[in-house]
Amino acid sequence: MNLRVPMTLVVFALLAFAFHSCGKSGGGLENTAIVALSADVENFNPILTTSTVSSEVQYCLYPQMFDLTFDLARGRLIYKPGLVKRWEMLDSGRAIKLVLRRDVRWENGLIVSPQDVKFTYELLGDPSVASPQKHYVDDMIFTNGKFDLDKSIEILDDSTMLFHFRRGHPNQLFYLTIPPLPKYVFKDIEPRSIRQHPANLKPLSGGPYRFERWTRHQEIVFASNPKCTYPGPAILDGVIFRIITEPQTRLMELKKGTIDLMWPVQPEDVDDLKESYREIRLETLPPRQYEYIAWANIDFQEYRKSGGKTIRPHRLFGETRVRQALTYAIDRKSILDAKLGKYGELAVGDISPMFRWAINTNLRPYPYSPEQARSLLRQAGWQDTDGDGVLDRNGVKFEFSLLYNVGNARRAYAATVIQENLKQVGIVVHLVPLEATVLYEKMNTKDYDAVLAGYNVSLSIDPADRWGSIDNPFNSAGFQNDRVKELINLGMNAIDEEKAAYYWKELQAILHQEQPFTFMYWIKDIVGVNRRLKQTNISTLGVLEGIGKWKIGDPRSSYSMD
Amino acid sequence: MRYILRRIASAIPLLFGLVTVTFIIVHLAPGDPTALFIDRDADPSYAQNLKTALGLDQPLHIQYFRWLKQVATGDFGFSFTKNAPVSDLLAEAVPRTLLLSGSALAVNFLMGIAIGIFTALRRGTRFDRWVNTIALFMYSMPEFWLGLMLIFAFSLAIPIFPASGCKSPLAEYLPWYEYILDVLQHLVLPVVVLGVASAAATARYVRGSMLDVIQQDYIRTARAKGLGEISVIGKHALRNALIPVVTLFGLSFPFLLGGAVIVETVFAWPGMGKMTVDAIFTRDYPMIIATTLVSGTMVIAGNLLADILYALIDPRIRLGGEG
Repeated sequence: MNLRVPMTLVVFALLAFAFHSCGKSGGGLENTAIVALSADVENFNPILTTSTVSSEVQYCLYPQMFDLTFDLARGRLIYKPGLVKRWEMLDSGRAIKLVLRRDVRWENGLIVSPQDVKFTYELLGDPSVASPQKHYVDDMIFTNGKFDLDKSIEILDDSTMLFHFRRGHPNQLFYLTIPPLPKYVFKDIEPRSIRQHPANLKPLSGGPYRFERWTRHQEIVFASNPKCTYPGPAILDGVIFRIITEPQTRLMELKKGTIDLMWPVQPEDVDDLKESYREIRLETLPPRQYEYIAWANIDFQEYRKSGGKTIRPHRLFGETRVRQALTYAIDRKSILDAKLGKYGELAVGDISPMFRWAINTNLRPYPYSPEQARSLLRQAGWQDTDGDGVLDRNGVKFEFSLLYNVGNARRAYAATVIQENLKQVGIVVHLVPLEATVLYEKMNTKDYDAVLAGYNVSLSIDPADRWGSIDNPFNSAGFQNDRVKELINLGMNAIDEEKAAYYWKELQAILHQEQPFTFMYWIKDIVGVNRRLKQTNISTLGVLEGIGKWKIGDPRSSYSMD
Repeated sequence: MRYILRRIASAIPLLFGLVTVTFIIVHLAPGDPTALFIDRDADPSYAQNLKTALGLDQPLHIQYFRWLKQVATGDFGFSFTKNAPVSDLLAEAVPRTLLLSGSALAVNFLMGIAIGIFTALRRGTRFDRWVNTIALFMYSMPEFWLGLMLIFAFSLAIPIFPASGCKSPLAEYLPWYEYILDVLQHLVLPVVVLGVASAAATARYVRGSMLDVIQQDYIRTARAKGLGEISVIGKHALRNALIPVVTLFGLSFPFLLGGAVIVETVFAWPGMGKMTVDAIFTRDYPMIIATTLVSGTMVIAGNLLADILYALIDPRIRLGGEG
């Protein structure tokens, strides 16, 4: 039987099928942006979301309280009128009067009112909601340990509100930036059941886009909201968020031109994109996340057992010179060069380099110096007395487990380098990769000797969440220092940033000396954008900030901007 | 029919045992489900309140009986992380996974059987050697790598297929036939990874089985009777050669829902495999237990189907021991 003819027909049919409408979509995409997200959103309620992706997407749906910009030259957050058209600091910053616009409306025509704003804070401060954004009310008024809504927020008239705080602080305005929820939608639900409210999944919009459709793990579709009065309907017809978790697939979609924007681009892919894909521009964000190794400064086991009464230095990491030795012994620069290149920088402390005014420029990163590490360890009494290649002191070997989360290639690599580096100075490290939920549980209960983790810093400096108290979950080292507590108190109550900077600089010097953490490196995210997308305002505030003003244009028109 | 009903009845305690064991294991596994969605610096009372709201503050047996009661009424509970009823989430994801894995399974067995027969009939020829080499190559290739290479080759370098997703953006607005064509296009690359690679293994089974069968006396007799080659192979040899393949099919059946995790991730295919893995990592208990129940049901259904197919293919086998 001659199969040649039918085989040829089959091949032609397959080719016709393949080429038919490949890359074609449902039409109407000419004025629609397609953005790839690295994960699905949790929901669309700003008080219930924890992930960065979810917060970014909310720029589409909610009116922003202020029009924020971050002045990179000065390292300061600049507030301009948004939903709040005027504001006034009173009582040395302990009260703020806000005047809201009266022309901002929800999709259903109702005005975004002071009641909506107050209701949002009511939910934030309600323990039965267990909001992950509860810190927005932490500096407001509490009575008998409970958030006092009426003492914290007064509604003076149909557009004026007065917020009260426990202390004056130059950046209290930051805690008024969470977008308001429509009270009308949520008012009848028990706060503890709010997570099950359908509006979390199908929100009422008051922003430049309105919700159209969400297919989990697949796509979110928003259309321009014609009823948006502030900041106005989106210029684009719509935006589609495609959920593509695999970074290489996301990158290939960007290269192919089937998505317009994605982040983060991996540093190792930058050269190829620059050389071969001229239609893609890359934007680098200022560093807002750092990685660190938290050394247990105190004996956490004893501390837990005694209910927080017994504070004893940790058998290995309890001494400053030992922690300094560990930092000297780790070749952070080699990890940085291998994994981040110019998209990272060695960390000196935990205040982001983008806050230029607060940075103590006298401090330098610890250099890689195994000799210095050995010398400090010797001074602390750690020597290899039995010749087995491992340091010991009073019969205790210098040996510990380093915990880190699985699924993060950079951390897995760093952990291996750390293990090898410390072996060179006679320290045995057991690497323990853990699932995120297990690691977080261990970090919350402080059940470890050392942990390699990362931290995203806020747009306002608040060291109290890391160094204030041993019990603070973010004080992963259990570090305590009276002067540090004093400086935090002084800095948080300083009337202006110049004054606060004085305290923050001293705080950094102490942390640099004490090394409760080994601060590894700051990471700068890279965003890949197809040049057809115009007027993006990618900044440290958010990749999707200003998404209502995005436009689609000729991709060739901005080649010269390179 | 009585046999089928008896098998279904015996599956109920099995599934009951499966979900009970899963329930206990997931609750005893380390990891706090609330740790992922409240701030770590929140007051511990916040975490406690959330646990109360989710019913996690109750003793394990109370949680278990409450869950059983819900399931008996068709309610799988509420996903902690997705903020939606589990049954809604399954209703979204299961059809998409069935489409992908079902297509892959079809390709696997249709291609595998066809290649197996051809290579058996042309045993020792250059065709046989080439096909065997290619089959081994495909089978030994990691799915993740093969997926990315296919995207690179057929989506980026030669852009004939979409790189990811199960449809183009806004494809819903296309005429129905174009929409179907669009989905089929999106199916091609993931199905190649899932189906073609497995077809290589199936082909080797079929080849071996076919070689055994065509050397038997009754095949020689059939040829001696003057039957045509198509009739000998298609009618007499194939039926017997397929018996081991039926076992393989039964074993592959559960894969329909859970076996495509890697391919779903690489191709951003919004199916159940990915959802299950996410649920495990986030300790989304209701979701984990529901997906286990669905997968368990598929395993039992697969075995039952294999047994029925045995009886259809081989008349010597009578279900229920009647024959």
